[in-house]
Amino acid sequence: MHLSERAFCGELAPADTGREVVVAGWVDAFRDHGGLMFVHLRDGSGIIQLVFSPEETPRHICERAAALRSEYCIAVRGEVRRRRPGTENPGIRTGTVEVMATELEVLSESEALPFTVSEKGMVAGAASTETGHVTEDLRLQYRYLDIRRPSMHDNLVLRHRIFQTVRRVLDSKGYVEVETPMLTASTPEGARDYLVPSRLHQQSFYALPQSPQLFKQLLMIGGMERYYQLARCFRDEDLRPNRQPEFTQLDIEASFIDEEYLYELVEELVVEMFAVGGISLTRPFPRITYAEAVDSTGSDRPDLRFGLRFVDVTDLFDETDYSIFRRIILRGGCIKGLNLKGQSDRLSKNVLQNEYAKEIAPSFGAKGMTWMRAENGALESNIVQFFNERELQGLRERFEVADGDVLIMIADPAYDVVTSALGRLRLHLADRLGLIPADSFCPVWVTDFPLFDATDEGSVTSSHHPFTAPDRTDFDPNNVEELLTLRSRAYDLVMNGEELGGGSIRISDREVQQKIFAALGLTDDDVRERFGFFLRAFDFGPPPHGGLALGMDRTVSMILQTPSIREVIAFPKNRSAACPLTGAPASVKREQLAELGLLDLGGREVPPDAAEREDRVDRISWLSRIGVAPEEHPAMEIVLDQAEELALLAAKEAGELEPMYSVVPVVNRTRPGTVGKRSESAETGDLLKNAPSLKGDYFKVAGILE
Amino acid sequence: MKPALQQDMTVAVPSNISMRGRPAEAGSNALTGYTAVEDATVVRRLREAGAHLRSSACVGEFGFGLPVGGAAAVAPRPSAGGAEAVDGAELLMDFMGESRLAAAHASIYGLKPSYGLVSRFGLIGLIPSMECCGILSGSLNTIGEVLMTVAGQDGLDFSLPEEDAPDFSPREIRPEEITIGIITEAQSMAAGAERSPATGDSRGAPTPRGAEGFRASMEELRRLGFTLREVSLPGYELFSLVHRVVGSVEASSAAGRYDSVRYGPRAPGAKNWNEMYLMSRGAAFGTLIKSYLIQGAFFQFERYEAFIDACRIRARLVEDMRRLESEVDFFVLPMDDGPAQEVRSGAGVPPSLAGLYESHASTLYANVTGQPALYLPPVPGSAPTGFQLTGPRLSDGRLLDLGRFISESWGGE
Repeated sequence: MHLSERAFCGELAPADTGREVVVAGWVDAFRDHGGLMFVHLRDGSGIIQLVFSPEETPRHICERAAALRSEYCIAVRGEVRRRRPGTENPGIRTGTVEVMATELEVLSESEALPFTVSEKGMVAGAASTETGHVTEDLRLQYRYLDIRRPSMHDNLVLRHRIFQTVRRVLDSKGYVEVETPMLTASTPEGARDYLVPSRLHQQSFYALPQSPQLFKQLLMIGGMERYYQLARCFRDEDLRPNRQPEFTQLDIEASFIDEEYLYELVEELVVEMFAVGGISLTRPFPRITYAEAVDSTGSDRPDLRFGLRFVDVTDLFDETDYSIFRRIILRGGCIKGLNLKGQSDRLSKNVLQNEYAKEIAPSFGAKGMTWMRAENGALESNIVQFFNERELQGLRERFEVADGDVLIMIADPAYDVVTSALGRLRLHLADRLGLIPADSFCPVWVTDFPLFDATDEGSVTSSHHPFTAPDRTDFDPNNVEELLTLRSRAYDLVMNGEELGGGSIRISDREVQQKIFAALGLTDDDVRERFGFFLRAFDFGPPPHGGLALGMDRTVSMILQTPSIREVIAFPKNRSAACPLTGAPASVKREQLAELGLLDLGGREVPPDAAEREDRVDRISWLSRIGVAPEEHPAMEIVLDQAEELALLAAKEAGELEPMYSVVPVVNRTRPGTVGKRSESAETGDLLKNAPSLKGDYFKVAGILE
Repeated sequence: MKPALQQDMTVAVPSNISMRGRPAEAGSNALTGYTAVEDATVVRRLREAGAHLRSSACVGEFGFGLPVGGAAAVAPRPSAGGAEAVDGAELLMDFMGESRLAAAHASIYGLKPSYGLVSRFGLIGLIPSMECCGILSGSLNTIGEVLMTVAGQDGLDFSLPEEDAPDFSPREIRPEEITIGIITEAQSMAAGAERSPATGDSRGAPTPRGAEGFRASMEELRRLGFTLREVSLPGYELFSLVHRVVGSVEASSAAGRYDSVRYGPRAPGAKNWNEMYLMSRGAAFGTLIKSYLIQGAFFQFERYEAFIDACRIRARLVEDMRRLESEVDFFVLPMDDGPAQEVRSGAGVPPSLAGLYESHASTLYANVTGQPALYLPPVPGSAPTGFQLTGPRLSDGRLLDLGRFISESWGGE
């Protein structure tokens, strides 16, 4: 059979009826109807049903077909037929036709699969196969099989479509894709770098780029004017559920432009990208300042799919008798709240007091939470008696209260505590009460970020990066209070509470840049050391420029509505930043380290294996999750030394017998006649009585991640 | 048929054996505040047979290893062969010979039953493939009754082999038909531990001890009509290696349950669950147990082949023992009930793993092979030293018959 003449499974249609075709791919599923064999054949384009019939297929071919197993790679010649009425399968695109096989070649066989690849039922209405029960690590370990699944396959194809859209739109606007180096020097993004040791320059390191920030600005100074790149970036950050050590961002930079130009460009781009997923977004995207966003939603990436905007009620309690509020207001604090319209049926006193006020709000950083329920024209709560009628009336008016409403309020001397805790409550409640409409997409530009954040030491640090242009340039770099009032010309694109990307207009004036460095407390030497090459470029007529970076993995994941960004990355790392397929990261041979000059970094005068010995206890302590106090270290060292000796002796004496793990014949299995049942102690709750921390009927543990 | 226990028999149960509703802290911070949710099977069976159950403290963390001699021996012992055991019985978890050693300290009888004979359900264990519920008493009949009460199949312990219950019915001992093997290598180890009375223990009787005493006791056995034959087990000294490697790995694995989730105190202030484990488990274990667990984790994570090697040696030792069992009916081994550890390692030095293993060197074999082992205390005028009797696995009943015959012949019981 010549594979060059092959037809694609997913493209066969009734119009092909009668045509002789060669198809090739993998056995997705098969059914044997007593000699009559049906096979779902899958290739990159889709699935076609093959029929091996004793009446029409040569006997030896039928016999060979009977030996087919899932995921055998085969080629088949046969004739396209219309399926008999009543045997069509609407679950697949080619469900009205089938191929009556006349030849079969097994191109390669497959071992038993670690999980099911097939997703399509062979008969109409059959349940499709779910992968829900397969652990993600197993899927990642056999990612090549996972990618055979049509849904993963589609994710990668659509990712490609979205990337092509980006390239098409940007190309049409004169943007040039320029690659910037992977091996580079550390850049000032602020996360940890992944370092690559240099063999030729011993004890020197390249850094993998956290973003092409400096290079794209240098391209502007180089006169490229319109640059973009689908750039791979690397950040060695702490684990978060939806974070990858390497990720792809759409990096855009342009010269002689302003914010409006970028909003226009990026909105058009994003609309087209989402259109690939069949999602239409309305332009222009709304804009909200950072201050407004925080003040009304408690977040700088507000989720605008639902209301629940904050209402400030501080002024209503200026003269209150309720001592907690009074003290908070005296200390310059504020009181904000939100109205859960018509939710009193679902938020009982018990839920509000015992769950929200006592557990959830404190876990969000609030010291307390005030709640009120509107019933029969009055507000009721456990503390309502402390408020006078004027205050209650004020609340009713301010929140536009109707019967059935529930008010939630947070009061705290610190504005940040109020907004952040109430913001998290807003999301928690919206989720719990189902207030977030499905399939809704609400993009928003967040603008006017503060240029600086205050540090604990009383100085300032860049909230974006030090090349972001300020909203005004006449500031005193030594006046911390003034610095904290500066806003940046930065903008974030936020969708449904997630930051898709962000950027800024950059500083192109050397003097302004120097003032920023001065404000950051960087000396000339610091600046020269960290950014010398970069600032030198600004001595040669830099154009005004700005740009933006869009997290592509996250954006694609949102467009395809996948549960995690790993579903739209071909070979992602798992939640522990490791790759179950390749085993990366892995240790390397000492020779490799020696070649790179990494065996005694820092030139410490220590024996070659001292470092290894030193942290041996820490390593085992971590692996076994048993903390070892400093004073216990020596004892553990001794025991590990002895363990090395025991291991040597055991190796010497081992002999050839099969290892004995138990002195009695033991098989771990359920004894015949045993019926699975819930433990009596679980029924009575005794099982929970010894637990240090409970939540309802569950053992409560610390979060997996911080 | 299970004969009833004697009326009003008191059995002391340490806190590493679960008694429903009673604190079962097992002497460990890892179980501070833990109350047993269910009865251990041994406890349930004793209760149903009418025994008076009394709590006894757990000697040491998880009852693992017995502090030997020295100050601990002089001070009143909280349990482990205390006064209660003399009249009634006392249960004691036996990981490395604790029940025989405790019996030796109290000059009473101590039995470690065959592995797999007694349910481990409800025992707070550490070394699943070696640990047993040991029985101590001043009377071998009592030990026999307790054993018969607690032994046998248990639907709650899925690790019990499906074996026919062994025949416990007392049978006559005819010394002229019985050959008892003396393991050469075990003897020489005892000889190595020989010491002058000056460093000896405080109970010091003015009779010959150590190897000399053991030889004298053997002479007495011969005088009763038994045939004694010297046999060789060249790998005898490897019992300690096997026990320490396998035991530590199993302990590291078994102690994984002490994670401050379902029980045990949780260290405050952990930011994520890794920290929660690290901090809570760091605070849960004392230095001795922690060093054992760290050693086990080392084998588990970084030298797993050492564990496999130790299991191969274990197979060889068990096979060698079986070979010897075809030559003799029982074995007799010396009991090194040891000088004070403090004497060996200097006063005030906390117990070390090496010290612990050294002080249990003469009892480890039975935990490794799963054989029953019975300690017989010295009998003034007859046997100047106590010693251990052992036989094939599941020969517990015969072993008690033999012990009873010897004791009665010497006027002991």
